[in-house]
Amino acid sequence: MTTVGLDAAGASHAFDDASKRYVPPWRNPWRRPYVLASITWAYVLWSLVPVLISIQFSFNNSRSRSSWVGFTTDWYLGTNDPNSPANGASIAQDPALLRSLENSVTLAVMTTLLTVPIGTALALGLTRWRSRASTVSNGISLFPLVTPELVLGSALFLVFNTMYSSIPLGRPAMLLGHITFSISFILVIVRSRLVSIGPEFETAAQDLGATRIQAIRTVLLPMLVPAIFASAMITFAASLDDFVVSNFLYLDAKNITVPILLYSAVKAAPSPALNALATLLLLGTLAALLVTYLVLRLRRRGDGGSALDDLADIEM
Amino acid sequence: MPNEANDSSRAPAWRPQLHRRDVLRGGAIAAVGLGAAPLLAACSSDNGSGQTASSDYPLARPDSPVTLPIFDDNKPIASGLEPENVGVLKVLNYADYMAPGVKSDFQDKYGAEVQVTPYNNYDEMLSKLNASGASFDVVFPGPSVLSRMVYGKLLQPFNNSYLSNIKNAWPEYQDPWYDRGSQYTVPYTVYTTGVAYRSDVVADPSEGYLMMWNADYAGKVGVLDDAGEALSMAMLAWDITDDINTADPEYINAAKEKLNELTGLVDVKIDITQYETIASGKFSVHQAWSGDMIAARWYLPKGETTEVLGYWVPDDGAQRVIGNDNIAIPKSSESPVLAHTFLNYMLDNTVSEKNFNWNGYQPPLDKLNAQYLIDGGYISDNLLSAVVVPEDFTKGIQFYEQPVAVQNMWLSAFMEFKSGGS
Amino acid sequence: MAVAETAEGKADRATRFLWPSLAIPGTVWLILLFVVPFYGIMAVAFSSQLDILGQPIPAWNPLQWDFTVMRQVINESISGFYRPSWEHTFVYCFLAMMICVLVGYPVAYYVARLAGRNRGLLLALILAPWWINYLTRMLAWVGLLGDKGYVNEFLGLFGVTPVDWLAGNWYVVVIALAYGYLPFFIIPLYAYLDRIDQRLIEASRDLGANSFRTFFRVTLPLSRIGLITSIVITALPMFGDYYTNTLVSNSPATTMVGNSIEQSILSGFSRAKGASLVLILSAVLLVFMAYYLILTVRSSREAR
Repeated sequence: MTTVGLDAAGASHAFDDASKRYVPPWRNPWRRPYVLASITWAYVLWSLVPVLISIQFSFNNSRSRSSWVGFTTDWYLGTNDPNSPANGASIAQDPALLRSLENSVTLAVMTTLLTVPIGTALALGLTRWRSRASTVSNGISLFPLVTPELVLGSALFLVFNTMYSSIPLGRPAMLLGHITFSISFILVIVRSRLVSIGPEFETAAQDLGATRIQAIRTVLLPMLVPAIFASAMITFAASLDDFVVSNFLYLDAKNITVPILLYSAVKAAPSPALNALATLLLLGTLAALLVTYLVLRLRRRGDGGSALDDLADIEM
Repeated sequence: MPNEANDSSRAPAWRPQLHRRDVLRGGAIAAVGLGAAPLLAACSSDNGSGQTASSDYPLARPDSPVTLPIFDDNKPIASGLEPENVGVLKVLNYADYMAPGVKSDFQDKYGAEVQVTPYNNYDEMLSKLNASGASFDVVFPGPSVLSRMVYGKLLQPFNNSYLSNIKNAWPEYQDPWYDRGSQYTVPYTVYTTGVAYRSDVVADPSEGYLMMWNADYAGKVGVLDDAGEALSMAMLAWDITDDINTADPEYINAAKEKLNELTGLVDVKIDITQYETIASGKFSVHQAWSGDMIAARWYLPKGETTEVLGYWVPDDGAQRVIGNDNIAIPKSSESPVLAHTFLNYMLDNTVSEKNFNWNGYQPPLDKLNAQYLIDGGYISDNLLSAVVVPEDFTKGIQFYEQPVAVQNMWLSAFMEFKSGGS
Repeated sequence: MAVAETAEGKADRATRFLWPSLAIPGTVWLILLFVVPFYGIMAVAFSSQLDILGQPIPAWNPLQWDFTVMRQVINESISGFYRPSWEHTFVYCFLAMMICVLVGYPVAYYVARLAGRNRGLLLALILAPWWINYLTRMLAWVGLLGDKGYVNEFLGLFGVTPVDWLAGNWYVVVIALAYGYLPFFIIPLYAYLDRIDQRLIEASRDLGANSFRTFFRVTLPLSRIGLITSIVITALPMFGDYYTNTLVSNSPATTMVGNSIEQSILSGFSRAKGASLVLILSAVLLVFMAYYLILTVRSSREAR
């Protein structure tokens, strides 16, 4: 889509040529879209500035999350100063905060590692397997995408408490829940790549003497790596961010994740340690995002287009 | 309906040697009570026995005390064991109900981190305790949920040889009416329920409960997130009934209507963080437990003194809502010896004093009597109304355990209030 | 030759089950942890038995289903105490969706088609909130809207007396919902607008249509499906949202149906009622879900 930029340049030319006669701005289709531009920039500010301010307050030298007193890193690193509001309540000192961060990351990593093989296999199978059963399976596998998390969360909570009571709430139930809502992400992303690759490469490999399994392993899978990788990162981020399913299934303090802590702390008396925690969570997601971006860029090298567009497409 | 409920309080229909399965099946209370009067009527006509609202667990009252049973498959642990060395004690409790210092001292002494999973009310507590895979070592139930928990086998009986400090407790709590012989509970705190307010905002605290319905404080009024407390306040405030254990749908409904009025009148909030929100000035008036206001001094903004805090309870002791919380050990505990150790630790005079200093809730221990606490400077003069003495329990009104069906009527009404009324 | 053929035949037989066996683990997973749990909601909603703690015992056998609670919840949704929750849900979601369209469409359109040099930067900026935890973004606003927060301080500069934003105001809930879900609204729409053939728009302009005419006669009709998709994608989670409301209001005056469900199921009020509400909510959302599914299936078929 680099063409848009060119068009814009061309357009201003057209404007210059046409400007011999005065045209009021609202009649000129090629004029600069100031109104749209200001809406867009206003939206960007609206959506991001609060978050930046919230990060700022994670460095506030006071218990307040809304009036700025001064800069400190105590909420992150802890302090023994008895006069500091962060004493004992910082991420470094409050085991509950640190544990929630550990839990979030562990859960997201486990979810990703387990979901990727299941989801990729499902994508391969459903793309190539044609039968009545596959249609049913296809339908089932799309439903989690459109089911509100509240429905999934309460459904899992109810069955884990009754029929599946051998699966304890807490880490095991949360993991199963996260995998369930993640499978469809992987399925959709990997499948769209599979469809765009088409069956030709496999056929060619088989014509050259490879068995079908060899063809998949040596030809198809390598071509799928970027899509698998991107979907893994999306899964990681989705699991890290999940609140609803976790909130239904976490059971006790041992398994609390960052989003649950953020939610329950607002009902109590929140401190800047929460902002600090949210900031660390954000850094985790950004790291995942950066890695994805770099990988997509690597793949895109010499191929025009932008990795950002790929990301935007994937997130649909 | 009321008749049935009266039946149940007169003659608890329970059998001493029930098996769990029987209890569960019987507990099904015919067709789902769920608190709707028409539904209940339908049920009782279904089985024709009229026992719909009778209970499958004993309903203890001060004048009909209950000895809770010890089941064959749920016996106390053996004597003389060493606390398990698991490094963690899993506690199910209200948030901010135990002093951080008391927790860290326990960790220093016994090497176990006290890990608190918070809940907002007993229903949430029961839901957590009963969940698949739930394992907790310590829980804090009041008398109004106790029988149910014992009969549902959520709690385990004590081995009293680990609980020598029970001797520190008020005599009435060494053998309480809801648990003769203290087989399943030791006492934790005593408190009244009243109205907390900012004395720099509220003009006339003698309005009492009606402070809540005063539009002058709109946007800064809160009630406790607890069906019993919230509805009973409306009953008492508007003279609907004095019986805060009523099973009469009309009374419950009238109380609910009064609570619903709060939504339009003062934009009421429903939570249990009044110790922080009154102190910080976020709220001007909030229904509260007495301990909250004694603890609120820790949450005051810099430069403010306890002078800005106030706590109202009816002058007449017979009108006061009074209660107590206990500590118990869930059956699911994986370290019951450590749990016993913790209970005994909490009954220690020094530990209890430290805990009170932080959370503001009086422990019913002889040494820490009202005079001692006032002399110790824990309670400022303007908050003396928050002090509880043993005699209050002989006069005051308390919440008792109810059959599931009555329980559900209360809950249903409260949910209606929480859902924005109709 | 014959030997080779046999080997190939064997390989074929071995691989005949390849695709199904790849698909089966995932399918079984979703049956066990998605389809069965959904059935579990029904078993609880249609249960007629309570255990000693007052919780429903699920009726797994459809022959034992009892619809008393369901009927009661439907009645209460129409005229009883769940009615306000439903009203709030529909009104707030509708208004928030209007804001999403009015703000999100111009933004997506501008970034996709007109941003020129800034396009990469802007794209990164509108993608950013998608990656920031929803609760983090909400909490940021809770900080700003507090009694002594920046918003009141800012308004104070113009002599506006401090407003108690978080005291249970419906408009705060609506704006918060819009704020929360706009990123999810913008991205799919962006991806769709990005694909519209620029030549069609240029042609319209060259033929003398002004910007407005071009937009309403060409761009908007071309992006209709993208717009609907965005609305559906956003509406589904928004209808099931309860945390936004809790964070910025937490007042009975703004309770949404998601809050009622959470309180019924998690706080142990009545799981049977909660489960019934989930079923009703799912039925309401079925229209959206079906639309999205059909669209996905159709587009994946076209791609084949």
